[in-house]
Amino acid sequence: MAEAAVNIKELEKNQEWWRAAELKRSKRLDYLRKAVWKKGAVGGLYAPGIKVDMERAGLFTDGYFANLNDPGMVRHAKAVANVLDNITIFITDQAQLVGYVGSLPHTISWLIEGGALLNEEVYNEPGIAPEPEAESLKKIAAMMDRWNGHTVQDKFIPYVLSFAAEEGVKLLSGAVGWGLPLSISGYNGKDYEYILTGKRGFEDIIEDIDRRQNDMTEKARKKAGPEYLHVGLRMMNWEGMKIVLQAVIRYANRYARLAKIVAENYETNPKCREELLRIAETCERVPAKPQRNLQESLQFDHFLQVVERFESGGGAWPSRPDYYHGPWYDKDVNIDKRLTKEEALDLVGEFMIRAHEVGAFFPRWTREGLQGITGTWVWTLGGVKQDGTDACNDMTIAMLQAARLVRVSNPTFAFRWHPQVKDEVMRECFECIRQGLGYPSMRNDPVLITNAMHWHGHPIEEARTWVHQACMSPCPTTKNGFQPMRMASATANMAKVVEYALFNGYDKVVNMQMGPQTGDARNFKSFDELYNAWAEQLKWLMNLLTMSVNFGRAMSPEMCPRSFLSAISERSVESGLDAVSPEGDRGNSWITAFTWVENIDSLAAVKKLVFDDKKYTMDQLITALDTNWEGYEEMRLDFVKNAPKWGNDDDYVDDIMLKCLREAAQFSKVIKDPSGNNWPILPENVSGNIHYANIVRALPNGRRLGDALYDGGISPGPGLDKKGPTAVLKSCGKINHITDGRAFLLNQRLSPTQLSGEKGYQLWRSYMHTWADLGLDHIQFNVIDDATLRSAQREPEKYQEVIVRVAGYSAHFVDISRKTQDNIIQRTVQGIA
Amino acid sequence: MPLCKECKKFFPVKEDPNKGDCVQRVVDPRQAYYKAKPVGANMDASSCSSFEKI
Ligand code: SF4
Repeated sequence: MAEAAVNIKELEKNQEWWRAAELKRSKRLDYLRKAVWKKGAVGGLYAPGIKVDMERAGLFTDGYFANLNDPGMVRHAKAVANVLDNITIFITDQAQLVGYVGSLPHTISWLIEGGALLNEEVYNEPGIAPEPEAESLKKIAAMMDRWNGHTVQDKFIPYVLSFAAEEGVKLLSGAVGWGLPLSISGYNGKDYEYILTGKRGFEDIIEDIDRRQNDMTEKARKKAGPEYLHVGLRMMNWEGMKIVLQAVIRYANRYARLAKIVAENYETNPKCREELLRIAETCERVPAKPQRNLQESLQFDHFLQVVERFESGGGAWPSRPDYYHGPWYDKDVNIDKRLTKEEALDLVGEFMIRAHEVGAFFPRWTREGLQGITGTWVWTLGGVKQDGTDACNDMTIAMLQAARLVRVSNPTFAFRWHPQVKDEVMRECFECIRQGLGYPSMRNDPVLITNAMHWHGHPIEEARTWVHQACMSPCPTTKNGFQPMRMASATANMAKVVEYALFNGYDKVVNMQMGPQTGDARNFKSFDELYNAWAEQLKWLMNLLTMSVNFGRAMSPEMCPRSFLSAISERSVESGLDAVSPEGDRGNSWITAFTWVENIDSLAAVKKLVFDDKKYTMDQLITALDTNWEGYEEMRLDFVKNAPKWGNDDDYVDDIMLKCLREAAQFSKVIKDPSGNNWPILPENVSGNIHYANIVRALPNGRRLGDALYDGGISPGPGLDKKGPTAVLKSCGKINHITDGRAFLLNQRLSPTQLSGEKGYQLWRSYMHTWADLGLDHIQFNVIDDATLRSAQREPEKYQEVIVRVAGYSAHFVDISRKTQDNIIQRTVQGIA
Repeated sequence: MPLCKECKKFFPVKEDPNKGDCVQRVVDPRQAYYKAKPVGANMDASSCSSFEKI
């Protein structure tokens, strides 16, 4: 023991946090952490041993086709119920929480009903079909045949072609948009205020629905009127909700039964037996009835997440664990003293591991965009309660401590900072950052609450419940505030805007006229002409994407009903409508703006070197860009080095940033989402900067086709922020983080040496004061030195738990492509003055 | 013909003994666990490689 303590100290002194964590965590957590099969794709490929889950696909297929003549929501609910009733379940040794989105620990889920595009990839992906492979491939092919003409894609495409064939082709080119605009891809928020506060269990909801069905039947029979025109649809939707709720209760009971069987027939260790019986008791209780303690609360939540992923892609994981589980933590640890802090930490750590192990089969373009992880699962901590008081609690601290022990890359945390946050909590956040997790990212709560009210008109109490719907965008967790699908399928590859402005809307990568013809840029005589072309291309792109998402949203209840999501959403339980229906949704849409800053640096470079200094003509520039700068290296370097760059507190370029953002903000109020609400932009990147490297052509900021794009929403280009971290903050502080957009991602790399000890904390605190004073809404840090990252590139097996912040998410460094690794190493390490 | 109900891994449901769970221990390269799958008591077990006579 003493030796281990010395060893831990030594490792911490050397800042080898990942090795220290292995020694510090309990034996149980160490076992459970190492038990996880890696589900994120590495370089676009799944790890050896990972297999697609054939059971979910087969059971859903059988359930769907056995009920083909049922109305949509009922058919969907029966298909999900067939999965929940029959899929293989398992309980891992030493686990205290159960539930997995697949039949076995090494499987990844497959939404076969999505479409042939995905299913073809499953069939063709080497090594992903379970052994014996030939037999599995035969089954996959047979299932695909069965689905032919019935998938969401099959149903959706004729509608798209009916009115926007050209736009559909442009979207499918992959050059400008990212994501599927349908609710099957998940990313939905949840009405946690309804389902996770301990006020109700599923039995209560079923009773409520029964009452509503009786009530509506009675009223509709008595009096004819327009309010009852859709009574049949509502009755059937309610029926679907009840079917799925009952199935989830049975699913939980299956775990209870397995735990009992193992406890009574196999387990010989009395402590393990006791734990299994507690699992049984927990799963008999939740989600049928409201939770009574921390284990039940975490288990309730985990069942919600797992079942949601049996019905949709679940690409994001909006969650606020400290807020919703904190009261149970407090009850068990502080009041009833039923759990010690260490026991609670084991549960909390396992809660993260249970999420970390979830995986899904994604098409290749998604895998490349989400390197090393299985979704952008950013859990929200901290913030304020609905009455405006500090919401941090002991569970906040436990989550941050557990994160340092289990060191998972997904989920990650984002912390809602506000002026009342206690120093004790800030220190815990800092420890996570200092220990190189790359999270929590820090969010400015007062700014983002005001921003939510400004853009979407959320009442203040509603705005204060916000969680991260995906990586960055805040979304409330209330009846009318939560968002039921990924409206961010309006995800734009924004660097194309400046490219199209320079090339008359023509895309030479996909060889198509994409944007409007805004004129031959060789003939532009002023910066204003170029800017106007840019603005026109911007509006075209924003409209193209939002139009497609609006359309997808409207079609979703028919194409891919969400019986489970509806059943746990107050507004659907009340109305009998699919949760994705815009009725009752205040609207909380945003356009994710990938590769945004390239526009600013490019426009600034043209303004300076062509129109102000007249060093080059537009004709020369377009020729150089058209040849990918080949033969123009000296000129390219001039555009890199001698044109002003964003992030250096230089008004010349910073003013262009503001002008562009305000252009977008104005148009955000012109285009409307299905609830009639606004579509502000949100610059961030996931790892789109790598994904789009071969899609965006040469630009006036000096990039060449194939070069990685900048790494984050408003982060300066790597190595281009020459004036230090305060200048970066000052540039970013010129943006109005309330009215100029929905949120703005900023990556910073800080030196681990500088952040060591108490002095390091104080430096960071004062840096954070500046950040808050300047009104920035987001910042995230990588605190790891180049030497460690280079060593991890050489000997990946020794650095399995080294984590880096990629963009809006973190990943284990060894699980991302070499190009992304190099891109992270290139980011400027800022010394805080 | 051997049936699932004659197998050690079969655990009948109290309310309906015709139904039950096949419970098996698995040790994979990363973890050990127990798994369960619904089976019928009278299901043909002749081609089941995991069958263990009670
Ligand atoms: S499926 Fe095989 S192992 Fe399972 S209960 Fe039946 S015979 Fe036994």
